[in-house]
Amino acid sequence: MNNRSSVLRAGAATTVVALLLAACNQGAATTSPSETNAAASSAPPAASVDAGSPSPAAPSGELIVVGSTLSLTGAFAATGAIHKIVGEQFVARLNADGGLLGRPVEWTVQDDESDQAKVAQLYERLISQDGVDLIMGPYATPNILSAMAVAERHGYVLPQHTAVIAPLLTYDCQFPAWSIGYEPNVYVPTQLYEAVATLPDPPATVAFATNQNGSTDFVSRGLPDDETDPDARSIARDMGLEIVADIQYPPGTTEWAPIATQLQQADPDLIVNNSLGVDTVGLIQAMKQLNYDPPLTFSLFPAPGPLLGLGADAEGVLSVSIFEPNDAILAQYGPEVTTIVEEYETAATAAGLPYTAFETQATASWNAWEILVAGVEGAGNLEQDAICDALHANGADTTFSGNLAFDPAQNNFWPSNQGLKQIQDGDWVMVYPSDRAAGTIRPVGN
Amino acid sequence: MTIQTILQAGIAGALTGGLYALMALGLTLTWGMLRVINLAHFALILVSAYLTFELATRAGLDPLLTVVVTAPLLFLAGAGLQWAFDRFALTEFNSLLVTFGLLIVVVQLVSNYWSADFQRMSAEVNPYATQSLRLGPFAFPTPRLLAVVAAVVLVGGTHAWLQRTYSGRALRAFAEDRTIAAAFGIDHVRLGALLGGVAGATAAVAGMLIAVDRPLTPSSPFEWFGIVFAVVILGGIGNVVGTLLAGIVVGALAGVVSVAWSPSTAPLVIFSLIIVALLVRPRGIFVRGGT
Repeated sequence: MNNRSSVLRAGAATTVVALLLAACNQGAATTSPSETNAAASSAPPAASVDAGSPSPAAPSGELIVVGSTLSLTGAFAATGAIHKIVGEQFVARLNADGGLLGRPVEWTVQDDESDQAKVAQLYERLISQDGVDLIMGPYATPNILSAMAVAERHGYVLPQHTAVIAPLLTYDCQFPAWSIGYEPNVYVPTQLYEAVATLPDPPATVAFATNQNGSTDFVSRGLPDDETDPDARSIARDMGLEIVADIQYPPGTTEWAPIATQLQQADPDLIVNNSLGVDTVGLIQAMKQLNYDPPLTFSLFPAPGPLLGLGADAEGVLSVSIFEPNDAILAQYGPEVTTIVEEYETAATAAGLPYTAFETQATASWNAWEILVAGVEGAGNLEQDAICDALHANGADTTFSGNLAFDPAQNNFWPSNQGLKQIQDGDWVMVYPSDRAAGTIRPVGN
Repeated sequence: MTIQTILQAGIAGALTGGLYALMALGLTLTWGMLRVINLAHFALILVSAYLTFELATRAGLDPLLTVVVTAPLLFLAGAGLQWAFDRFALTEFNSLLVTFGLLIVVVQLVSNYWSADFQRMSAEVNPYATQSLRLGPFAFPTPRLLAVVAAVVLVGGTHAWLQRTYSGRALRAFAEDRTIAAAFGIDHVRLGALLGGVAGATAAVAGMLIAVDRPLTPSSPFEWFGIVFAVVILGGIGNVVGTLLAGIVVGALAGVVSVAWSPSTAPLVIFSLIIVALLVRPRGIFVRGGT
């Protein structure tokens, strides 16, 4: 048999199968949601539902197309899946509630494969070739920065879910759905140290294990070109904590024994693991393998499900959160939020996600869509300049985070409502600050 | 930084190297004996890891015992793949391209079925993840210890097979000179399928130990490429004992450098040393006459 033609046939067959699978994995979300507007307040907003009002008219007229990319494959796909589900849920409810400006909405999602370069190409295509009316940001900070450059070049408004390094997001018409204020490198550690100071036996020593990813490293070390920028370490010293270890590791680290060994030797009262994904899972596992019981541990941006899977070994782990579906929290929000949470859980279960709680990522996603809708409704049309101006003038009322006010001087980052959550009795529970908590912070072993 | 800390990191790293060697074993076999650079080997490891998760979580099987199911399955898969490679008469370079495509297909299938989210066996299902054996002040994490034991057993068994059996000698003859081997009546297609099956079975063991040790995500194979290829090349392509030694050396070195300098320095140091080692001994540092 001719070798070249054999290879070509084999390669062609493989390519066709790969393309078919990629097509099966993509999808444009067009189902029907109904939107809720929250009352503007700093307390958990009450969802406004008028049970007596007539059903809204079905949307009609020309389709409004929202384009975006998400990481449906690759390193960020685990969280990309959450944003896809939330987006589909939101658009479905929006269309069931009369659409946007009375028109039906379609969301077209491209898979950026967690690749920054592909993000830029895809957004360029969505805007220039496909001519989408609106865009929504992708997931993960590097991808959002890529999309932001394209959006700015074309003057498109970019609501974005999860990029929180405010100094990097300089485009006037990007609108963050998750805010840790203009200085996350100050907000996060300050809140953490204040929270643990309320424990009966507050920590006196702290060890840092920092993923060198931009988002996490920024919290530990501040701006790279500004040594005077406060960070988690300088704030720890200012608040009287002694630093006994300061370890950095590259993204993608899977070998935790060396870091665990150093932490065991340092024996801190508090471990601050500014990290992503399953880093803290690997770290706790490695510490247990050394017969070292981890002290109080903070994990910055963990994948929430795998940490719960550690069972008793993860009890007491702290992290950040803008929303947890605890019963006490849901009771503050009202029945509409409970419905949103339950609908998401059903969809996530059907999608086979191992962790189906509607928490921080899903909340940020919902906020982003509400920002987009608020902008369009405030403008009364689809002109990007008008949408941007409307958001600056009026802000956005959101179901989960209340009224968001966008100040260009703060790169549109609004005063944060982020709190702390802790694993208690096998579940994540909001514990700080007390006015947004469903429980109180506990020491490890309690 | 104490000597004990450095030694502990070296021990843990060496045990991790056993896992690297286990992952590299099938690859070095097919590459060295059959001139097939089989990137689909990483797909087989991935499938085994997820099958371990599935069988342990849904069917309640002990994770270590899942290999009773996965090893025969992946033996058949490996043998079938190798038969297909022979059927299409793939050259060494073309095998790289085709098997990369297969890897992408499998990654997508895994993602479609198990989702792209992290999957991890819970502590109730997998008690081994946080266990370790203590010897004095030193801890030997159970999953990695099992990996070293499995690597030693499989490398030893494979080495004995290649050196002491007719089929093993026939394979080595085929690797040395295909034309002469065929003239002596060596059926490389059947032997190749057998070797492919053995490689698949080793992938099953590696995948099981990965599932016991860490959370899974479909994109995991792309994290393994660099270190596994480094172990294969450093050990000498087709040299199974060299692969084991290279894995342990690389793992131990990575562990020591991580504590002595920093974890972010370890990859730089490791791969720089690998480059230097290959410049001095291009056929592998554990190959006799490796220049």
